[in-house]
Amino acid sequence: MKLSHRASVAAPAERVWAVVMNVPTAAKCMPGVAAVDPLGPDRFKGSLLVQIGPVRLVLDGEVVIVSRDDAARKASLKAEAKDTRLGGTVRATIDVALSEGPSGCEMRIDGDVQIAGRIGEFGQPVIQRKSEQLLAQFAQCLGRTAAA
Amino acid sequence: MSGFAYHEPATWSAAQDLLRAEPDAMVLAGGTAFTLLLRQGLIRPTTVISLRRVSGADGILADSHGGLWIGAMVTHTAVVRSPIVRASWPEFADAAARVATLRVRNQATIGGSVAHADPASDVPVMLAALDAQVIVRKPNAAPRVPIDEVLVDTFTTSLAPGELIESVQIAGRGPNTRAAYLKFTLRSVDDYATVSVAARAEVVDGTVRAPRIFLGAVGARPMRARSVEAALADGARSRDFADAAALVRSDVDPITDVRGSAEYKREMARVFTERALRALVS
Repeated sequence: MKLSHRASVAAPAERVWAVVMNVPTAAKCMPGVAAVDPLGPDRFKGSLLVQIGPVRLVLDGEVVIVSRDDAARKASLKAEAKDTRLGGTVRATIDVALSEGPSGCEMRIDGDVQIAGRIGEFGQPVIQRKSEQLLAQFAQCLGRTAAA
Repeated sequence: MSGFAYHEPATWSAAQDLLRAEPDAMVLAGGTAFTLLLRQGLIRPTTVISLRRVSGADGILADSHGGLWIGAMVTHTAVVRSPIVRASWPEFADAAARVATLRVRNQATIGGSVAHADPASDVPVMLAALDAQVIVRKPNAAPRVPIDEVLVDTFTTSLAPGELIESVQIAGRGPNTRAAYLKFTLRSVDDYATVSVAARAEVVDGTVRAPRIFLGAVGARPMRARSVEAALADGARSRDFADAAALVRSDVDPITDVRGSAEYKREMARVFTERALRALVS
């Protein structure tokens, strides 16, 4: 499942980039994220709680920064997480890119998400809508954090 | 499948007591959505509180102004067959008749449909167009909440833990009130809607006034066609309907799935909004 999200962030690209690349800080902007801990310079573990009506997903996993270009303000991340209670795996490749915009900066997040197991039964439309909501809230919060 | 504690309280207050003691309990109405989620392994309840034996929860009453009071545990089939509903809001009975199959309608309830808050469900969209009020049982109160405020997101209502839907109320109609529910299904008649449109308005000599229009399956909740309503607010005739209906494209927020692309759904929203307006004056 491909996801694409664009958001205007009301803060200079340089500052937003610093927030985005500080994974534990950036993760605080994702609703439902708990306890992000570094496992190495570019590797982190954490958990994400997603509630969609009666269904509660608790995704435990790792995020790795695969590549980053600070000059161009582009990075590529890989995430893999499991819900051991319900049974299911989420794998995602996420590309983040920032560019200067008229009032702050423009953020592009392109994701390719693969969902296997029971979680997938919930249906792609529901997961897609939820993902878009989470990304929108994430982008808003990044703006607030970078502007603070 | 793991086991769970199962309760069948006989009164609303007993149900509330159970829910207070077990805040994580799942509340079961007809069980059509619950059973699917359970069988798919997406929910793992430890306690289930069924409302099937709650006294009076499956009643349908009318007031002297033609308003309806529909208990949360009333099934879709009961609505379809109810002479009381047919007498005051036959269009609501018609909308309930569009839900899935007879087997589902025999089991699925009006309260359950509202609580499940599936944006592709039929009845919540029609209830929104009819400006229905949801009677919410809270620990020490039972406020009436407009259904548009209850349905906040996909599978998500504004109800707090410990709150229950007791009933749904639809106010009586005026002599010139018209309503319509149109459902477009691509694959089979018992499928979820690709797009659905519920509309009500006052209609005098072919002129539509005070329209209230909601669309299903094209957003995270029943989507209000505010632009279309605004275009028709001062009175509109059938020659105005096509232009007004075209505005619906900006009122909806569909996503691409097996029932069509987002762009296709936007276009069908336009087509079926225009048809719904024509149905109001026919």
